[in-house]
Amino acid sequence: MPSDESIKTSTGVTTSRRTEPVSAEKAADDAYPTSSKYALELNNVEAFYGTFRAVAGVSLKIAPKSVTAFIGPSGCGKSTLLRVLNRMHETLPGTSVKGQTLLDGVDLYGPKVDPVRARRLVGMVFQKPNPFPTMSIFENVISGLRLGGVRSKSELESVAETSLRKAAIWDEVKDKLHQPGTSLSGGQQQRLCIARTIAVKPEIVLMDEPCSALDPLATLKVEELVRELAVDYTIVIVTHNMQQASRVSDTTAFFSMDEQRAGYLVEMDATSKIFTNPKESLTEGYIAGRFG
Amino acid sequence: MRLSALIATIAAIIPLIALIYFVIVRAIPWLDAELFVNNPLDKPSGISNAIFGSLQLTTAAILAVSPIGVLAAIYLNEYASPRVASWSELVIDVMLGVPSIVVGMFAFMVVVPQLGVSAGSGVVAIGILMLPIVVRTTQEVLRLVPSSVREASLALGVPVWKTVIFVVCRTAFSGILTAVILAYSRGLGETAPLLLTVRGTFAQNWLDFGTTMNALPLTIYSYSGAADSRTLGQAWAAALLLMVLALALNIVVRARTVNSRVA
Ligand SMILES: Nc1ncnc2c1ncn2[C@@H]1O[C@H](COP(=O)(O)OP(=O)(O)OP(=O)(O)O)[C@@H](O)[C@H]1O
Ligand SMILES: [Mg+2]
Repeated sequence: MPSDESIKTSTGVTTSRRTEPVSAEKAADDAYPTSSKYALELNNVEAFYGTFRAVAGVSLKIAPKSVTAFIGPSGCGKSTLLRVLNRMHETLPGTSVKGQTLLDGVDLYGPKVDPVRARRLVGMVFQKPNPFPTMSIFENVISGLRLGGVRSKSELESVAETSLRKAAIWDEVKDKLHQPGTSLSGGQQQRLCIARTIAVKPEIVLMDEPCSALDPLATLKVEELVRELAVDYTIVIVTHNMQQASRVSDTTAFFSMDEQRAGYLVEMDATSKIFTNPKESLTEGYIAGRFG
Repeated sequence: MRLSALIATIAAIIPLIALIYFVIVRAIPWLDAELFVNNPLDKPSGISNAIFGSLQLTTAAILAVSPIGVLAAIYLNEYASPRVASWSELVIDVMLGVPSIVVGMFAFMVVVPQLGVSAGSGVVAIGILMLPIVVRTTQEVLRLVPSSVREASLALGVPVWKTVIFVVCRTAFSGILTAVILAYSRGLGETAPLLLTVRGTFAQNWLDFGTTMNALPLTIYSYSGAADSRTLGQAWAAALLLMVLALALNIVVRARTVNSRVA
């Protein structure tokens, strides 16, 4: 038997088998080797609107190339926390952030970090599809690159095609790349926005209820896409749809609100665990639909 | 109630219709080729210098004022703190309400001593009147650009200044152009400031802003007391031209607003 074992290891089969299904549990699992990098690591993160604390003391770790779902009742600060992760929170007047947010081990809010660069590394897809209204489909996809200074036409064209293919919308738009982005259906617009986001090659893609404005079919398409994208990207997705969270995510973080309406992390665990056997009764109640 | 409202409406429309009717009927007999080609000193006389004078004055003013006005609106809308913005907006609103004769007097007392009675002084006066219109209207258009557009751009890692120019202004471009056309149409009809700064001439002036120029409102002013029917007719014709120009620009503005792609 030992010989058998060693063969497996040498061919790498064991390794690959271990990484895939286990990746779901990794993030929250303390057994996950600390030497490995986390894509994101939050230590006691707080977010404020003026003096109102919308997010209180959130600490969590997100494994690279995994899908993490943020769930929780409305107003518990999921969107706010998401916007902390790509420094969009600070674009609103009067806001502030405390605590530590590490991106690949580097403090995202460090004095030398340019928020513009941070947003390139951490892309975002919004709740409502928001293609640029006066730009064509093609211009939309390459907008990030072009505004980032890329001039080469051939490069822009090839990135546009790869991004649209990755966003599973190439076949639908390849014949009308020069029509306005807003001429597409809602679901197509959302996939266009996803293409636009991945065109700048971020490491992390944040999605804030990306399917809430879409019909079930379009939702399914975006969900499939999320799974495919997780091969290359670390994805954090906010959703109110429990089925969606269980379908697309490896890890789920459940948030709630305290008496001051400050959002906090109740627990974070492998999605299968959260949905079948959560540690906290609060989580169980929320998932069973007893509150929130 | 309904009947009295109807009567009031008719009472309001009658003077308008009468005005349009009179202008058209009195002007039409004089609308010949010479009117558009010849100057007052030519035989037969025309008002070519006034037509092209008006276009030159207003175009020079809009070219000078649009960049300033648009940039100011961008600053107020995209960068200024709410306090600075609301104070500046108050000033702009006051400027919008200043009667044009007051602006004319200001130009007469302050600008004419520097630039002389000249087209240049007239351009300054008209520009002062156009500026708040450009700022105000551009601001309104920029406000129509949804914040989701700005956020989408910022989230792509586009710096704020590029977001403002290449995303926000691009989205609002059609509307900004509309603001400029609107200001142009207002500038075209301004009379009081021109009376005090440009005064008018019988000669054709091409792009010499150091000397005097003619303009349609000035022609109307100086010809409308005339005794001979040809001069008087040309005053009517000038009035018709001004009306048609203003109307045409307003139609363009309307068409643009309806088709505006800013959602
Ligand atoms: N721009 C803002 N200014 C002030 N307070 C805000 C702002 N945006 C959100 N908040 C407050 O912050 C808290 C968290 O809001 P957030 O949008 O993050 O919640 P959420 O979990 O995303 O809710 P939902 O599920 O409804 O999207 C709420 O109490 C909300 O009222
Ligand atoms: Mg939200």
